Amino acid sequence: MQMPEPDQQIMARRDAICAALRQLVPAASVVSSAEGRRAYDADGLSAYRQLPLAVVLPETVEQIAAVMKYCHAEGIKVVPRGAGTSLSGGALPLADAVLLGLGKFNRILDIDYANRCVVAQPGVTNLAITHAVQDQGFYYAPDPSSQIACSVGGNVAENSGGVHCLKYGLTTNNLLGIELVTIEGEILRLGGKHLDAGDYDLMGVMTGSEGLLGIVSEVTLRILQKPATQRALLVGFDDTAAAATAVGDVIGAGIIPAGMEMMDGLAINAAEDFVHAGYPRDAAALIIVELDGPAVEVDALIERVAKIMDRAGASSLKVSTSEDERNLFWAGRKSAFPAVGRISPDYLCMDGTIPRRRLPDMMVLMATLSQKYGLRVANVFHAGDGNLHPLILFDANQPGELARAEDFGADILRGCVEMGGVLTGEHGVGVEKRDLMTIQFTEDDMKQQQRLKCAFDANHLLNPGKVFPHLHRCAELGRLHVHKGKMPFPDLPRF
Amino acid sequence: MPKINNLDEVAAAVLDAQQQKHRLELRGLGTKTGIGNQPVYDACLDVSAMQGIVDYQPEELVLTVRAGTTLSAVEAALDKANQMLAFEPADLSALLKSKSTGTIGGVLATNLSGPRRLTAGAARDFLLGFDAVSGRGERFKSGGRVMKNVTGYDLSKLICGSYGTLAVIDEVTIKTLPRPETSLSLLFESDDMASAVALIAGIFASPHEPGAAAILPQPVAAAAGIDLAADFVVVIRLEGIALSVDDRAGHLRGMGGIGGTVETVPQALSETLWRRIRDVDLLADHAGDIWKLSCPPASAPQIIAAIEPHFDMAFYADWAGGLLWLAGPSGADFGNALRAALTLHGGGHAQLMCDRGNSKQLIPALQPLPPAQASLSRRVKAAFDPLGVLNFGRMHDGI
Repeated sequence: MQMPEPDQQIMARRDAICAALRQLVPAASVVSSAEGRRAYDADGLSAYRQLPLAVVLPETVEQIAAVMKYCHAEGIKVVPRGAGTSLSGGALPLADAVLLGLGKFNRILDIDYANRCVVAQPGVTNLAITHAVQDQGFYYAPDPSSQIACSVGGNVAENSGGVHCLKYGLTTNNLLGIELVTIEGEILRLGGKHLDAGDYDLMGVMTGSEGLLGIVSEVTLRILQKPATQRALLVGFDDTAAAATAVGDVIGAGIIPAGMEMMDGLAINAAEDFVHAGYPRDAAALIIVELDGPAVEVDALIERVAKIMDRAGASSLKVSTSEDERNLFWAGRKSAFPAVGRISPDYLCMDGTIPRRRLPDMMVLMATLSQKYGLRVANVFHAGDGNLHPLILFDANQPGELARAEDFGADILRGCVEMGGVLTGEHGVGVEKRDLMTIQFTEDDMKQQQRLKCAFDANHLLNPGKVFPHLHRCAELGRLHVHKGKMPFPDLPRF
Repeated sequence: MPKINNLDEVAAAVLDAQQQKHRLELRGLGTKTGIGNQPVYDACLDVSAMQGIVDYQPEELVLTVRAGTTLSAVEAALDKANQMLAFEPADLSALLKSKSTGTIGGVLATNLSGPRRLTAGAARDFLLGFDAVSGRGERFKSGGRVMKNVTGYDLSKLICGSYGTLAVIDEVTIKTLPRPETSLSLLFESDDMASAVALIAGIFASPHEPGAAAILPQPVAAAAGIDLAADFVVVIRLEGIALSVDDRAGHLRGMGGIGGTVETVPQALSETLWRRIRDVDLLADHAGDIWKLSCPPASAPQIIAAIEPHFDMAFYADWAGGLLWLAGPSGADFGNALRAALTLHGGGHAQLMCDRGNSKQLIPALQPLPPAQASLSRRVKAAFDPLGVLNFGRMHDGI
């Protein structure tokens, strides 16, 4: 992975920069020693590591603004970091960039039941929001697998999903307001406790912008009342295509489950070895369907779904009869990644999305690619929304295997786009899928996205080298085509 | 100007406008022309011919349609598959005195939503991807045709509610959802705004899944054909399978209102009532201007208390739309008072939706932006439309 060439002049000024930063934040909030910085050298995509120029851990929004102002004035790059759980390298440091860690922003500021929202600092973990409101029967809906560790600010940066986003949406659908610090050090508040505003949806475009547009310094999140009942079905199929059809049949029947997940044979057995959830070991595919709501509704819909599964050719079917059993059904799915980690020294987790009806074609493609590259692949899917998580098994100690696994992954993602899907459903582009963006987007598509970036950060100081394979200078991006031999409006001032 | 048929023609027209220093007005069926500010344009770009459903896969919950397709054509296609636009876009044609409900592109451009705003979202939550020509005259696409996608910036959010000031959209992919099998409404009586808001807060804090809520002051309730004597009527909509709706209605009936009276409105009547709430029918006959306020739910009683003594006005709350709809005197005073009250009580947004005097000459239709946000928004506009060719000034000064 080629990162932008570090600026040697900036690197040479490291000590002076650290000293200047210590004037802006408490001295202990600037980490300059090599061992101190090493703790921040990677995020969840640990195949890539890089020591940052310096780590700054501000404690107030004013300190964030001061650091941004300084970096902007000095032309120093900034890489934002929440809890560092990104799976796509979104928080991967750069050798010539200040890493701005938001770990000290760990307080919930306001729990407002009357307006059904929570105002929190960005370093608060996702699960802590639910913990703060569950006594009153509320919860925060987006539940990425890393929810015990990942931060809500990071959730905004990545537009995180989870197993329940089929029914309850991603972060972007559950976010009411943010406070944002721009690269110039200006503090803006977008949205609030109300639902709609009459400006461009800048909060919407900040969500999922992977730290390239600004620093999120506060979030206002919508909380929901917990459903009265949750029950799950565990359904085995001998045939993956039949399982994929069954998933479509459920939605076709007008039922939107709270979650609908699928696993393939390799993933089923790895999970079963790990947590003994009672998964059918001989099934080619396993579907977990969860329904939530009032008890009478859940019971009625469970019956309907069971009938649909039967008709689609299910080979086994269990319905949870207790909370313990429902949690056990999920335990295997939720531990699928570590379970696969036990059967292989390393794995790469991919994250493409396809139109759901193409699932059987995708299974065929993966089997072919698995043969071609000589590597195994285990599959877990958010089947309800077509989001795939193929886990490519490899051994980093075998020369060339990482590269082979990456090529395998790239081929899967190429297949996703060819089937009408996209490169990433919820993990983000980061550095991991940066160079694959050209598969999904034309140069013009990406230039328009980068023009938006220029509106927020004209000098490409925020998290450069992520998301976009080619960096274009904003002046170049802003130029208009010469039309019929001359520039239009030659007398107008250019923005 | 002749009708435009595709994005190549849009690009040519935009480049031509750049050349001639024209500012273009984007126009579908023109039903929403009255929303937003009303600058004078040099020419009109009529995109109403870009019509047709491109692809609809009910099991995938996605619909790809050209932006000039009428909202009624979209809704008819979804209806056949027992699906819907869950964000329930308001049909403001009665209010705005327009001939039809307009196009899906217009719905997206104005980010319309309805009483399911709180529980399902607004147009911005349902646009998955689009292709377009920017004000630069260049084609680009964003998003995709699948439900879960974080590849690149989410420009779909930006396009929704941009009033055609950034780009001309053609094919849009929208998430669809199954229609609820049944619905009904419950009517609760209330003495004042504060107790109505508190009652709704309690209902939304219960696990009985209310789908929509409204607060109708007595005269508005009477206009809606509700024969209850209380000063305020709270309407709660329940949707889902019949078993569940009946069960939840049973629980909610126990939650009160004055004297515990709760009336049930059966499905057909309930649907009509919610259409009227959604479409602002209930204020359409009022002589004054119509304002839309988005505010924190708990602030509504204070906002009303701050305004009501000073103006001859009518109002109601499409509460799960997060909205107060108000009819008040033309001119700037009413809007200024609304915006001042919002600032005092938790923030929000007040928009002049229907100008029956010449109020827009005196007060901006959309709430003015704080300076830092205004300059960022201008830079965003310039990133798509540096010369101000598309709907320039429709939203804000210079945007």
